[in-house]
Amino acid sequence: MIEARDLEKRFGDKIALQGMNLTIQEGSIYGLVGTNGSGKSTFLRLTSGVYYPDQGSIQIEGRDVYEDCGIKDKIFFVPDELYFLPHSTLEDMARFYASQYSGWDWEYYQKLCGFFPISSKARLNTFSKGMQRQAAIMLALSARSSYLLLDEAFDGLDPVIRSAVRRLLVDEVAQRNLTVVISSHNLRELEDLCDHIGLLHNGSVRFSRELDELKLGFCKVQAAFSAEYSAGDFTGISIMRCEKRGSLFNMVVRGNSQQVLEYLQQFQPVFAESLPLTLEEVFIHEMEGIGYDYNSILL
Amino acid sequence: MIILDNQSRLPIYEQLKNRIAELVLTGVYPPDMQLPSVRSLARELGVNPNTVQKAYQELEREQVIYTVGGKGCFISTNPLIRERRCRETLDRLTAAVRECHRAGIPAEEIRRAVSDTVDRMGEEDET
Repeated sequence: MIEARDLEKRFGDKIALQGMNLTIQEGSIYGLVGTNGSGKSTFLRLTSGVYYPDQGSIQIEGRDVYEDCGIKDKIFFVPDELYFLPHSTLEDMARFYASQYSGWDWEYYQKLCGFFPISSKARLNTFSKGMQRQAAIMLALSARSSYLLLDEAFDGLDPVIRSAVRRLLVDEVAQRNLTVVISSHNLRELEDLCDHIGLLHNGSVRFSRELDELKLGFCKVQAAFSAEYSAGDFTGISIMRCEKRGSLFNMVVRGNSQQVLEYLQQFQPVFAESLPLTLEEVFIHEMEGIGYDYNSILL
Repeated sequence: MIILDNQSRLPIYEQLKNRIAELVLTGVYPPDMQLPSVRSLARELGVNPNTVQKAYQELEREQVIYTVGGKGCFISTNPLIRERRCRETLDRLTAAVRECHRAGIPAEEIRRAVSDTVDRMGEEDET
């Protein structure tokens, strides 16, 4: 279990994280989303023990991560900017990590080498961005850590490798109860992969919830009525946003779509239909709630 | 046997749940058949094991499947599922009739279309 309590991190007078509380259960695939500069990477670096917290604590399995080799042995962090030793090949890096991680699995590494189309003898700095990512992910999986922290890990991977990596991750979660924390802006991808989602904004957690709960907590309703109504007439449902064009209502409503439709039946709609929100819509909606939306950017 | 639609807005666990319920109703999954384990199904579909676990839990709550500790999940012999299926299908028919009405099709024509289809099914059953 990863547990952050009142976590704070400053860089000079810039506050990167403040009062952050977050719990991530074992065997979960946790998606970290948030606006640019919201503290996602800072949080991952704190979790992997790269940074020390200025205040509060970040603990894994009840132990402070910073300077604790025993617990760091169980964590593998793939940063957004990859680092390989100078002039090293994939094989050099594998040997390096094998010396660092007690759980390193050569057999598994060889299997991955057979699958990923990259040479283990060529120098890593000659590789493209996507190929370097692949190399980093191979190393990360072969280390057989209990916690895998991935910062924008799917960046630059082609669709085939993407889905292969997804399967490998799921496999590890199913077989060894691996815990994955993954930050990304690709909400579609997280939607298919994660079970929990945390939204960061300005250095603290806006919400952290189960994905299905999050998606089913809202629905998008489109309805038309023959009589004249305004949004204020629908007092039995909690309307988050309402747009009205003629007699057609487009609404985002809090609650279960079936209940909402049943409620609207009493107003005798010409038609009424409802859709669950996508994660992207939930994200945009939440951000609008705190005044971060593109409507104010568009001229 | 189980196909997921990645474009769908329905959560994956709902899709899984619906699909398994459908396979049970159509008899593809007979009573007392063992379902694949959570882990193996998750691996096969490439989805989060926790998602599969959730679908199984919901199915068990709705008594579509039952769990034998240490052995796995099995299809139950529950008539409730069939009842629900009937109700849901009728609901869909009601919705389709409403749709026809909205499209401006006269009541007589809708009635005829429905009864014609019913008659035709009857003939097919006899032959």
